[in-house]
Amino acid sequence: MGTKRIRENRRNFFKSTIALIGGVITYSLIKPIEVFAQAKEEESKEDTSNLPLWGMGVDIESCVGCGKCVEACKIENNVPKEPFYFRTWVEQYTVKNDGEVKIESPNGGIGGLKQSVPSKDIFKSFMVPKLCNHCSEAPCVQACPVGATFISPDGVVLVDESYCIGCSYCIQACPYGARFMNPFTKVADKCTFCYHRITKGLDPACVEVCPTDARIFGDLRDKKSDLVKFLQKNQTQLLKPHLNTHSRVFYHGISSEVK
Amino acid sequence: MSKLIFRLFFSFLVFVGVFILIQNYLTPSSFGKYGHYRADAIEEAKVITPYFKGEEKCASCHQDIYDLKYSDLHSEVRCESCHPPKITAATECEILPPIIEGSIEFCGQCHAINAGRLKKGVPQLDIEEHEGSQNCIECHNSHAPWELKE
Repeated sequence: MGTKRIRENRRNFFKSTIALIGGVITYSLIKPIEVFAQAKEEESKEDTSNLPLWGMGVDIESCVGCGKCVEACKIENNVPKEPFYFRTWVEQYTVKNDGEVKIESPNGGIGGLKQSVPSKDIFKSFMVPKLCNHCSEAPCVQACPVGATFISPDGVVLVDESYCIGCSYCIQACPYGARFMNPFTKVADKCTFCYHRITKGLDPACVEVCPTDARIFGDLRDKKSDLVKFLQKNQTQLLKPHLNTHSRVFYHGISSEVK
Repeated sequence: MSKLIFRLFFSFLVFVGVFILIQNYLTPSSFGKYGHYRADAIEEAKVITPYFKGEEKCASCHQDIYDLKYSDLHSEVRCESCHPPKITAATECEILPPIIEGSIEFCGQCHAINAGRLKKGVPQLDIEEHEGSQNCIECHNSHAPWELKE
């Protein structure tokens, strides 16, 4: 009796194992076909080609490091006044004669950047305005566990303040250090290209106040916009291109020291 | 099917059902309209009132100053570069006029000598040498910088 039962069980075990393996193989054969069916569905998603695609150009050769843009951004977007919360900031790079690179940004550049290196030691010096690069393959969007940060249909990376849980994963994920935790709202905060202004036809606050037109804002799809003209006239480069973030902030005249 | 397996299967179904119900209840209605986010958040980001009003708004009252500025070297500098709004977004500038002192430190934000600013068409001054104690606007008309006052 006992041995017979074991034999029957063994037979059942082999049967079910074979059925399982067979099932997995059939499933893996069907799966690639399913992918084609899904791809067709995605194509029918809403068409965004008639919307603008916002971007910004930054002309390093024009920036004088006055810090007006940083100040204006803080006023416009109610960014906390403490010197470690910035949606945009200006860095001064100084390459010394001995090859050492000094990067400084006291209070983000508000009140004008001051050269701290004596002029006889300077090989070259330049200002680099930094902001959210509005990547089309944004690491912060991938890192967000709840879908609170996203790329809007017109190409701006935004934070949904009422949906963010404040886990700060996106702050760690951003390779440009463009995000911070807002101490008042307790959620992630970042440059929005002044979304409330650009959708009303105004320029972002930093572009509005720039006295030397070092920041150029516009629609990448509109071939007559200032930004497209800027890109046609000048050679531009992205920050950290090896990360394949495909950002939409284009720097002109940047040197290899810029991180 | 034994009673035990039926119970297990049934409780699994109940668990899945309750999960779907809770998920439906908690997911905002506009979630997933354009992608994995709340589509209403785009509209919410648009409703903030801008602080900076733009030059056209300034020129509507101060056309004379605007024309003077436009005709001189500061033509590219916008009004609100030097006169940032001191008021809240909803109010007008008449309540708290954005008057500036024109001190040397203020003008020096652009004009103080700095190796990073050379060859950019912005005049550079050693502000300590250049009449160190006075405010710039005591000699210069800030809207037309080469027009010296008496």
